[in-house]
Amino acid sequence: MNRSLGDYEPIVGHAVIHQLRTLGKLFKGLRVVHVNSTSEGGGVAEILAWMVPLMRDLGIEAEWKVIGGTPAFFSVTKAIHNGLQGKPVILTTQDWEIYRGVNAENWRELRDDLESADIVVIHDPQPAPLLELYHNRRGKWIWRAHIDISRPSRPVWKILRAILQRADASIFSMAQFAQALPRPQFIIAPSIDPLSEKNLDLPEEELEEIRGRFGLDPRRPLLVQISRFDRFKDPVGVIQAYRLVRKVLPVQLVLAGGGATDDPEGKEILDEVKDAAGRDPDIHVLLLPTDAHRTINGLQHLADIIIQKSTREGFGLTVTEGLWKGKPVIGGDVGGIQLQVTNHYTGYLVNTPEGAAHRIRFLLHHRDKMRQMGVTAREFVRENFLLTRHLRDYLTLMAWLLWGDNTHTIVV
Amino acid sequence: MNPFEIKDCALLIRMSGLPSAMNLRELRDRIAFCDQDVLFHHFCETPLVPSFDLPDYRNDFAVWAKRRLGDDVLAERLGMIDPYSLPTLEDLRAATLEVIDDRLSEVIMIPWARPGQEFHFMQSITVVFDTGARITHPDELVSAVSRMTNSSIYFHVLEARRRHAAGLDDFSAWLVGGDGQWSHYIHAIESIDVTFFTLPELRRKLIEVLTTVVADPGRKGEDL
Repeated sequence: MNRSLGDYEPIVGHAVIHQLRTLGKLFKGLRVVHVNSTSEGGGVAEILAWMVPLMRDLGIEAEWKVIGGTPAFFSVTKAIHNGLQGKPVILTTQDWEIYRGVNAENWRELRDDLESADIVVIHDPQPAPLLELYHNRRGKWIWRAHIDISRPSRPVWKILRAILQRADASIFSMAQFAQALPRPQFIIAPSIDPLSEKNLDLPEEELEEIRGRFGLDPRRPLLVQISRFDRFKDPVGVIQAYRLVRKVLPVQLVLAGGGATDDPEGKEILDEVKDAAGRDPDIHVLLLPTDAHRTINGLQHLADIIIQKSTREGFGLTVTEGLWKGKPVIGGDVGGIQLQVTNHYTGYLVNTPEGAAHRIRFLLHHRDKMRQMGVTAREFVRENFLLTRHLRDYLTLMAWLLWGDNTHTIVV
Repeated sequence: MNPFEIKDCALLIRMSGLPSAMNLRELRDRIAFCDQDVLFHHFCETPLVPSFDLPDYRNDFAVWAKRRLGDDVLAERLGMIDPYSLPTLEDLRAATLEVIDDRLSEVIMIPWARPGQEFHFMQSITVVFDTGARITHPDELVSAVSRMTNSSIYFHVLEARRRHAAGLDDFSAWLVGGDGQWSHYIHAIESIDVTFFTLPELRRKLIEVLTTVVADPGRKGEDL
């Protein structure tokens, strides 16, 4: 559902909305095209689903293009994705040909739109080869990395880097994720949409319906990890942590995630998780449809503690979502989770299943601390990690693209 | 007195291009040669950087020294450097290097950060724009401040000190134009220790002291 900026005023205040409208006037009529590889599932699609309508609400001619691909293409891009996040992968010459070939096919379809745009934002590595294909571009091209590429597999990075250096600038979610590229590199943290089905407040009856649907016991603490079934999210490690806690406390665990159309590895990992869960009735492994946003929202609301025990993570939108719902988060001490979770303040950072179990037990014995963390967490998200801040960062980047030079201040 | 133009700003953070620092020696060497905008960012622009944290110290060097180098002594010393009390950014650089050099002379081993916890040198681009709002009389300051965004507060109260030779905030610089008529407002604003407030807190503090002045124009800033 397309919303307008005014819908967010009760949450962020009039001043923030007025600021965006004032900035937005500068870019009225500008053509901005976002390109990614999936229209549903995963954080990028979620961001674009709100960003494009809100840019339009400001008078910007924003568009969202999704490149198509074959299963072989998505297997290659998944390997590239893993390689960029540091997993050793082997990509053959043929794989790289598939990668470039599918992008070349997409180029034929998108060419007119992209070459005539004022600003093109290429999201993540899947559509990156489009950067190599333009000849008569009119506008500026940006590459937006949503993942942590601080320690990539070198062979993968070597080829990607040659492609990415054609962008006029790149955006990373955190400085820690960046790689040296010849053009300016900006830092824009992601955000969440507080009015999306994933984040809005749900009525009590709906929460109870969700609780009942999955057979969750209202009298016992609930731990919830929401994420794709991906090894970097360490779902098996979460089950190990749960088992350590279960010895002394009657907790329940939900591991829930949707599949994304560009993630062919998900099924394999899901089977591993189911094996690890065995027949324990208090471990609920849920493969949810990509549009099960209200269910995910409900599970986060029902949780006593949100877990995100990733071993590699870009930013981890599910962490921000959990914090917005006023829950403490126990997260892996990696990537963007380090930025979002502050020990003793909004949750705990852990490195092992044992560490997670220790913090879960501590929190469940200190309910007041949990509540205080939740209040703090929600306010931090309101101030810094809602889509209004994210949109403002993009508008600021657009100002730099249009009028920036090497000076610190641009007066518009 | 011309009307006060309420401006706003938006910050865009970018990598400075400097290699990150793994240890205190590298931090020192980078600070010695970095662009002034880098220093300004890590000391002064931190209130506008999105964060889930409210660290003990308001400059990034002190926070890094505490959390990543585990050097509390250095963190405390760096944390007390007040960037707004120094006349220029070169003075700020010299003061920072002095603290680090002192510490390097005291420690037996140079403190190192763990891999992944390096110090990344950043800088910002600030886009400044006119909100269209104006203040025509000092008595309107309270209601105007209460409507301003955090970034507008930052621009007029903190960032302003880089622009005005006397280190004034924009409100005071405007009020000075009243030939002493509005000195009680200037004293009130001066009474705020701006370094130790978040932007929402700073807004509340401004409203508090300005409200007091409006209610009792005879009171001086020191009494507030």
